[in-house]
Parts: sequence; structure tokens; C-alpha cells
Amino acid sequence: MDLTDKVMLVTGGSRGIGRAISLAAASRGAKVVINYNHNAAQAEEVCELVQAQGGTASIYQADVSNMQQVKGMIAFILDTYGKLDIVVNNAGIAYDRLVFQMEPEDWQKVMNVNFGGVFNCSKAALEPMMLQRSGVIVNVSSAMSEGGWVGQSNYACSKAAINAFTRTAAVELARFNIRVCAVLPGFSETEMVEGLLKEEKRYLPQIPQKRFGKPEEVAQAVLFLASDAASHITGSTLAVDGGALCTVGIGRPL
Amino acid sequence: MERNEIFEVVQQALVDAIGVDEDEVVGKATLLGDLGAESLDLLDVLFRIERKLGFKVTINDITLMITGGIPDEEFGTEEGYISDVGLTQLKKSLPQIDVDSLRGKFEAERVLTLFTVDNLVSLVETRKGEMASVNN
Repeated sequence: MDLTDKVMLVTGGSRGIGRAISLAAASRGAKVVINYNHNAAQAEEVCELVQAQGGTASIYQADVSNMQQVKGMIAFILDTYGKLDIVVNNAGIAYDRLVFQMEPEDWQKVMNVNFGGVFNCSKAALEPMMLQRSGVIVNVSSAMSEGGWVGQSNYACSKAAINAFTRTAAVELARFNIRVCAVLPGFSETEMVEGLLKEEKRYLPQIPQKRFGKPEEVAQAVLFLASDAASHITGSTLAVDGGALCTVGIGRPL
Repeated sequence: MERNEIFEVVQQALVDAIGVDEDEVVGKATLLGDLGAESLDLLDVLFRIERKLGFKVTINDITLMITGGIPDEEFGTEEGYISDVGLTQLKKSLPQIDVDSLRGKFEAERVLTLFTVDNLVSLVETRKGEMASVNN
């Protein structure tokens, strides 16, 4: 999974899975652009960690749901590094509500960041990738895109949209030697699921491996799909969930 | 760069992108009809040309060349056929067309199907000329 000299953008790279991806990619030789929206200090920290390891990294603030900002970010990358090889669309938010309590704005904002970010960053990266006739886009979706989890209808929709987009984009872009794939994490130990982690007794029985995933484990799957080791893989969705999606629910989540 | 050199670049791009044989790519072959190109094929062809020659030729450029910037409502009649205004424009931009044979019969939205290899070569020539004057 050698990524030497590959230029990689990781959206939402300041924390959680994005952070793990940034660090792992850099350790394999990639030049990493760590995108963040609000967490500048954390993004800087990841950047410094990469540089301390002898790697190359930059940080860039952009709200992925804003196309103008995303275009600026891609322009910065091309200016600074001369090319863009891999886009990891990892930035995502959750806003859990029961459908009964959810308002239209509650799903729209989650959709705008989670799927909108995937669309915007993919679209903006497309032209340089199509011109150089190579590229990889790896989208961080979720096991929730395929299984129902109480309170996450908006999140689930946004992630399912990512899966569908992954497939269509893969079909359209294959001829340009651009691969598009998705990873579907189950529960990984990140801030996004902090609340769940505190109640682990409820959830662990439902995961065959009886533990949550580590962000580093999700990162490994992302790096695999991004690397030449996955040269014949495109349009695929890869679950990294300890077997959770294989079960037919045991007990009740909430 | 001579026209025949540009023709060779365009021809190679068409062969590589669509998968047609070289001898099918003659000047008067239409891209969408005779060569069977689809929208993705067209995009692929244009990107290959850009990669080879170093300047952009976009689908927008093709549309603009055909319609001359005439808005849809004027380019087509109410029934959807190409209007007289449209036909006058076509006489200029696609010189191979016998406009009288299209009058009252040819749908405006199908106008892209008239675009030939020669038309594309002309467009690339024009774009190359524009780039040269920009750089001077």
C-alpha cells in the first residue's frame, strides 16, 4: 500500500477517522492536505505530527458543503503540490433525531455536509483527475447506509446517497482511470459516537467482534482502496464494522 | 500546426475514446451518428485532445460553435424544429449542411447530431488560434 508521492486530500482530517487516515497515509509516503472546518488547532496538530514523522502535510479550512470554498481548496492543492491523486471524502456530521421530532432542515443540513461534501469535492477534483487520466476517490460512508439505526434516518439517508453516488461515478469515470469506492465503518471510537461509547454494554452484544472499531482500522481499509493494490476495485462499498451488518438485530439499540 | 496535423490528433482521440477504427474517422463522419459517440465519449475525446495539445476545448465550445450563441427560443420554432434564424447560423458554422433539406423537419434539440469530424477539427483550429493570440 505504497503511497509515495501521492497527493491526498482528507476532508474532516482534524479528528477521528480523518485524523487516522491522514497520519496513516503520510506514514506511507503520501503528501496530505488536511481539510477542517472549525477545528484549526486539531488540524495543526495532525499536520505537525506528520511533519515530525518526516512527512509532508498542509492544512486548509473549508466547509465542504460550500462549493466555492471547495473549489478554492482544490486550487490551493494544485498550486502547492502540482497535482491531486486521491480524495478521501471523510467530513461528516450527525444530528440524531427521531423521525417524529425531525424537521426538514434537520435532514437537509446533514445531507448538505455529508453527501454535498462528497459531491462538491469529487466534482472539483474531477477536472485535474480527468486531465491526468488517473485518480482515486474514497468516500467514508457508514454501515448506517444499509441498516436502520434509531434516530439516524437523516444520517442514514446521507450515507446511502454517498453509496449510490459512488456506484454511478465509478461507472462514469472508469474510462478516465479514476476509481471511486466507499468504506462503511460501523462504530469506531471517535467523538461522533462519544455518547454511544459510554453505553457500550448495550451495543457490544450486537457486534459479532464484541468491540468497537479503531479509527486506524478504518484508515487501513481506506488506504487499501486508495492504493494500487485495489487497481481493479471500483464502485465497491466495503464494510469495516466487525460484522455488524451481517447480523439480524439482537435486542434494542435505544 | 497544420490542419492535417490537428486532424490526426482528433482522429487518434476519437479512435482511443470511442473505439472506432481509424478508417471510419473521415472528415464528414458525424460524431454521434456515424461514429456512435455518447456524451461520455465526447467528454473523453475532448480531454484527450486537451492533454495532447495543451489547451481546452469544451462541450460548451461545441454548442457555441453550432448555435453561435443564439438563445434556444430563437434557435428553434414553436414546434421544436430549427428556425430560419437557426438555419442561417448553421449555414455558417456547419458548412457541410444542406439547410434547405432540414427546414421544417429537423428538431432543434438534435442539432448536435450534425456535428462532424471536420467540424471538430475546425473548432480545435479556431481554439488553437485563440490561444496563440492570447499568448502573444
